Amino acid sequence: MVREIEFRDALREAMSDAMRDDKRVFLCGEEVAQYNGAYKVSRGMLEEFGPRRVIDTPISESGFAGMAIGAAMLGLRPIVEFMSWSFSLVAADPILNNAPKMLYMSGGQLGCPIVFRGNDGAGGQLGSTHSWCVESLYANVPGLKMIIPSNPYDAKGLLSSAIKDDNPVFCLESERMLALKGDVPEEAYDIPIGKAVVRRPGTDCTIVSFGRPVHFAMEAAETLAAEGIDCEVIDGRSIKPLDRETIAASVRKTNYCVVVDQSWSFSSVGSEVAAEVHRLCFDDLDNHVHRVHNDDVPAPYAWNLEQEMLPNTRKICEAVRACTYNA
Amino acid sequence: MPIEITMPRLSDTMERGTIIKWHVTEGDEVTAGDVLADVETDKATMEMQAYDDGVVTGILVSEGQPVDIGTVCATLADEDDDGEAPAPPPVEVAAEVVAPAASAPAASPAPAARRSGGRRITPVARRLAEQHDIDLDALTGSGPSGRITKKDVLAAAQAGDEMKAAVPPSATPPAEPAPTTLAPPSPVEAVPATPVTSGELALHADDRREPVSGMRQTIARRLVQSKQEIPHYQVSMAFDMDAITDLRTSLNEELAQVEVKLSMNDLLVRACALAMSRNPLMNASWDGDAIVLHGRVHIGVAVALPEERGGGLVVPVIRDADRKSLRQISAETRALATKARERGLSPEDMEGATFTISNLGMFGVEHFTAIINPPNSAILAVGATAQKPVVRDGELTVGWEMQATLSNDHRVVDGATAARWLGTLKSLIENPSTILV
Amino acid sequence: MAILAGSARLKEPTFGRQETMTMAPSTPPGDHSTPAAADAAPDTQDTVHGPASAAAYGQQPRVVAPRPLNSTPPPDTLKQWLRDMMLIREFEIRSMQAYQNKLAGGFLHVYNGQEAVAVGCIGAAKHKDPVVTAYRDHGHALARGMDPKVGMAELFGRIGGCAKGKGGSMHFFDANNQMYGGHGIVGAQTPLGAGLAFATKYEDEVINGGDNTRVSLCFLGDGAINQGAFHEALNLASVLSLPVIFVIENNGYSMGTATARGTAGAGHLEDKAIGYDMCSTTIDGMDVITVWQAMKPLIDWCREHSKPALVDMQCYRFKGHSMSDPRKYRSHDEEHGWESEDPIGRLANHLTETGAMTADDIKAMGKTIRGEIRAAVDWAKASPEPGIEELHHDVYTDTWGPYTGTSLPEFMQRRASDRGNG
Repeated sequence: MVREIEFRDALREAMSDAMRDDKRVFLCGEEVAQYNGAYKVSRGMLEEFGPRRVIDTPISESGFAGMAIGAAMLGLRPIVEFMSWSFSLVAADPILNNAPKMLYMSGGQLGCPIVFRGNDGAGGQLGSTHSWCVESLYANVPGLKMIIPSNPYDAKGLLSSAIKDDNPVFCLESERMLALKGDVPEEAYDIPIGKAVVRRPGTDCTIVSFGRPVHFAMEAAETLAAEGIDCEVIDGRSIKPLDRETIAASVRKTNYCVVVDQSWSFSSVGSEVAAEVHRLCFDDLDNHVHRVHNDDVPAPYAWNLEQEMLPNTRKICEAVRACTYNA
Repeated sequence: MPIEITMPRLSDTMERGTIIKWHVTEGDEVTAGDVLADVETDKATMEMQAYDDGVVTGILVSEGQPVDIGTVCATLADEDDDGEAPAPPPVEVAAEVVAPAASAPAASPAPAARRSGGRRITPVARRLAEQHDIDLDALTGSGPSGRITKKDVLAAAQAGDEMKAAVPPSATPPAEPAPTTLAPPSPVEAVPATPVTSGELALHADDRREPVSGMRQTIARRLVQSKQEIPHYQVSMAFDMDAITDLRTSLNEELAQVEVKLSMNDLLVRACALAMSRNPLMNASWDGDAIVLHGRVHIGVAVALPEERGGGLVVPVIRDADRKSLRQISAETRALATKARERGLSPEDMEGATFTISNLGMFGVEHFTAIINPPNSAILAVGATAQKPVVRDGELTVGWEMQATLSNDHRVVDGATAARWLGTLKSLIENPSTILV
Repeated sequence: MAILAGSARLKEPTFGRQETMTMAPSTPPGDHSTPAAADAAPDTQDTVHGPASAAAYGQQPRVVAPRPLNSTPPPDTLKQWLRDMMLIREFEIRSMQAYQNKLAGGFLHVYNGQEAVAVGCIGAAKHKDPVVTAYRDHGHALARGMDPKVGMAELFGRIGGCAKGKGGSMHFFDANNQMYGGHGIVGAQTPLGAGLAFATKYEDEVINGGDNTRVSLCFLGDGAINQGAFHEALNLASVLSLPVIFVIENNGYSMGTATARGTAGAGHLEDKAIGYDMCSTTIDGMDVITVWQAMKPLIDWCREHSKPALVDMQCYRFKGHSMSDPRKYRSHDEEHGWESEDPIGRLANHLTETGAMTADDIKAMGKTIRGEIRAAVDWAKASPEPGIEELHHDVYTDTWGPYTGTSLPEFMQRRASDRGNG
C-alpha cells in the first residue's frame, strides 16, 4: 500500500525493515536512541529494537565509525548515522582508510558491509563547517559506493539496497529534504545502486543532477520549457557507481549536457560526469558540458549569500541557455 | 578596465580579416605602435598595431580564423589595472586560443599547443555534416568565435533539401537507381588544363578557392598520369539496341516478382566481360618490358558520388564478371554503389579491375571518350541508348541505338584488336540471348 | 631525556600500584551484560549507554585488575611458546634479509625483542578471541597460527600471501585464525578493536541470546596513545562495556621519539585508563611467563564481566622502528643492556633450569625452525606475483565496471577445501 510519508520516515522504514529481517543489522550514532534521532529519523526505533541494536554513541565520530567498521569486519552489518556528513571529517581515517579498503587489504578475506548515512549539503545558514557536501571528496575513494536519494521513495529503496550491500555504502541525505513528503509503498523494496532515472523526458538538453539539486533542475526545466527549451532531467540516484549509460544515452539524444552538483567544482562529481560525457558522447556534443556547482567559496552564513552560492534554479537556467546557444 | 583590440578595417572594401600571425602572446608587454599581428584582408597582408601601452591578457582569435571588423581579437590590461585580471570576455575563447609565441620572452609561460587555422566545429556538427553531406567550409558558425554548431548544420541541411526540391524534375537523374549511381564523369574535361601541382591562380573578386579533398587529388594525379603516360586512341561503334532493350524489358517483367530489376549497365557489364574472355589480348596491362595477360576478368564500373558528398569518382569492381550471372552482377553493382554513396568503399572494393566501363548515358550524353584507368589497357565510354533514324535491312526506320567509344592503350592493344573486340561486343549486344548463358 | 635508563626499568616490574587501589564497585555506566558481577556493584542504569550521573564522576575508586597468577603453565606449553617466539624471531631475521635483498618492499617493522608480548597474550587467550594490531604485526599473526609461508609470500608481494600480495608487511590478515590485521595508520586499529569486541558481544548476546564468550585483544604501540582514535576507542569501550583489552606494547619509543618526549605521564601509561573508568595494569612484557600470568586472569575477567581493560606492556624493541631507522636516538649501551632481557633467552633459561629442555633440545628446535623458515622463503619466492587481473579484484564484493568481484586467498581456499574434504 502506498502512502504519503516524509523522507525521514522513508529512511526509518528502510532501516527498520532491514533490522527486522536481519539481526546482524544495528544502528548507532549520536542521539539515535533515547532522543529519537537528532532529526527524528530513528524515531521509535529504540522502542522496537531495544538499546542493544539502537545505540547512542558519544560525540566521537572517529571512535564510533571505527568501532562500527570493526564490527562489520567480524560480520555485523552496521548502519552509522552521522548527524551531518560535515562531522564525518573527523572520522575520515576510518571511513576512507579502513572501510573501503578492508576487502582489498585483506586480499578478499573480509569486507566491510556497512552503511554510513547522514545529512549532506547546506542545511540552511549553518555556516561553512556545517555545510559540507562530501560527495566529491569521498567519491574519489575506490572501494565505497555512494547513494544520494532525492525523494522519499528513493530514500527507502536505495537505503534498503545499501544495507543489503556487502560493500561500504555512503548514503547522502539532506536536512532540507527530511520533511519532504512523497508516495512510498508500505512494503519493503529495493532500488538498485548504480542506476539513474530519467525524471523528466526532454529533447533539447540533458540536465544531470544528484540529490537535492534534482529539484532545482526540475524547476529550471519548467522555466526553460516556457522558453522553448525542452530539458531531460536525469536523477543520478547513485554517485558511485555512476550510471554513465543512462546519462550517455540521453546526451546522445539531446547533444547538450548540463551537470548540477551541489559540491564544489574542482575535482568534483560534476567534473567526473563532464569528463565521462565528453568521453562517451564526444561526437554527439554540440557544446562542452556545462557545470553548475556551489560557488568555489566556503558556505556563507548570510541567507542571501548562501542562496547565491548554491546551485540554484537561476544558475541552472543560465547554464542550459549558454550550453544550448540560447544565451 | 581592459583594453579591447578589435579587428581593424584595413582597406576600403574589407569586411573581414584573418590574423595570419600573432606577434604577441599573453603576458607580453606592448607599447603603442607595436605590431600585434599580421592581418590578411581581401587585398593584402597588413599590420595590426597597438594603440595603447599595456600587457596582453587575452588572445581571443586564433590564427587563420576570419572575423568581422570590430571583433575583439585580444585584450590588454593597462597599467592602472594593477595586475588585477580583467574579466576575459568570452570565456571559452580566452581559455582555448593562444597565439604562437615566436617573439615571447623566455620567462612568459609557453603557449598551449594549438592547431593553426582550424575551424571551430562542434563534434556533433561535424558528424551531422557528414551525414547530411554538408560542406562545412561553406558554413558560417553562429557559436562563440564562429563555432559551427548543430543548428548551423541542420539549417544548411534544410536549405539544401529545399533547394533540391526546387530543381525541375527533368534535371534530376532518371528514376532507375543503379544507372544513376553509375554516372561516371571520367571525361577528358575533368583533367585540369594546368598541372595539378600549381596553386597560384589569380583569384577574382567573385572567385572562391576551395581546397580539394584527398579523393579529388587522387583522381587528378592518376588521370594526369594516365593521360601523360598512356598513348591513348579511341575506336567508336554504334550498337543496335532494339533486341537488348526488349530483352531487358521482358526479363524485368519476369524478375519483378522477386524484386530484381536489371539495368542496362548490368547487361553491358556482362557483355563486356564475355567479350573479354573471347579476346584475352584486351584483358591485359602494360608492365614496362612485358604485357601482363590477366587470367580473370574483373570489370570496374565508374561511379560518380553525389555532389552532397563532395562529388568525385570511384570505381568499384565486379570480380569474375564473366562467370557471374546477370542477377549476381546486378546485385553486386547495386550493393557497391549504395556502399559508395553511403559509407564509402573499402580499398578491396576498388582493387584489381582489368577493364572499366564509364557510362554517361543517363545524362543524355551520346558520345564521349574516357581516360584509361591504369593499369587497364582499355575503357569503354558508353553513351545514351536513344531512338534514332536507323537503316535496318535497307530501310530507314526508327530504332534504339547506342554509341560506345573504346579508349585503348596502344602499347598493348592495336587498332585491329580493339575493333575486333568491339565487334564481339556488338554481336553479343545485338544477339542478347548469348549474354544470358 | 629518555625515560628508559637501561634495563633497570623492568628489573622489578610492578603491577599497577595495587597498594594504592581498592577493589572498587564502580561499574562503567551502562553495563547491562554482567548481572551481579562479583566485584562490581549492580548497574543501576536502565539503558546500555546513558551517561553516568554527575555524582559518580571522580568519586569512585577504580576497577582494579585481577591479581596475576602464581602458577606456571605446563612444560609442553612453555616449549610451544619457546618455539613460537623462536619462529617469530627467525621469521623477522629472514624478513630483514629479504628486505635488504629487495625481495620485500615498502616498509618493514620487525618484532625482535617483543615476541613475549604476542605469544604470552595470545597464549592466555582462546582461539576464538579476535586479535587486531598495528603495522608491527608479523609476530601476532604467527602467534595466532598464520603459516609462515603465507606471511613470507605476503612480504614478497606474491599471490600466495595472506592478502594475495595486496596488503604487504603492515597488513597481515588471517580471518580463520581470528587475526583481523595488520593496520598501517597509528592508532587506527583501536576503534576497530572496540568494534570487534562490540561484534562478538553482539553476536553472543543479541543474536545468540546468551552471555558474552569472547574477548578481543587490541595491540597498539606507545606512540598510538596520543592519537584521538585511541581515546575515543577507550571511551566507547568503557561506556558500551565492551570486552576488549588494549595492550600498549610500550617499547619506549614512538618511532624515533622516546615516549616521554611525546607523551605526558609516560612513566605510568596505564593511568590513561583512569579517565575512562577502565581497569588497567602494567606488565613486564619481556618475560612470556609473566605476561601470561598477568594476562590470563585479566582476559578471564574481561570475558566474564564483558568489560574492557588497558595494559601497559613494557618491552623493548631490539631493532629500529623500521628498516631505515639508524637508531641514533638511543645508545649502544642501552641496547646491550636489554640483551639480557631477551624473552627467548629468558624462557630458554627457565626451561633448562627446570630441566624441561636441554641446551641441545633448544639448539635442535632452532635448527628445525630455521629449516621451516627457509622453506617458507623458498615457497614464497616460488609463489607467482599476483596476476594483473588481481588489480581490479577484491575492490568490491560484486562485479561492476572494471571490478571483478572478490575471492578468498589461496591459503584460505585450501583450508576451506580441506575442511570440506574432512
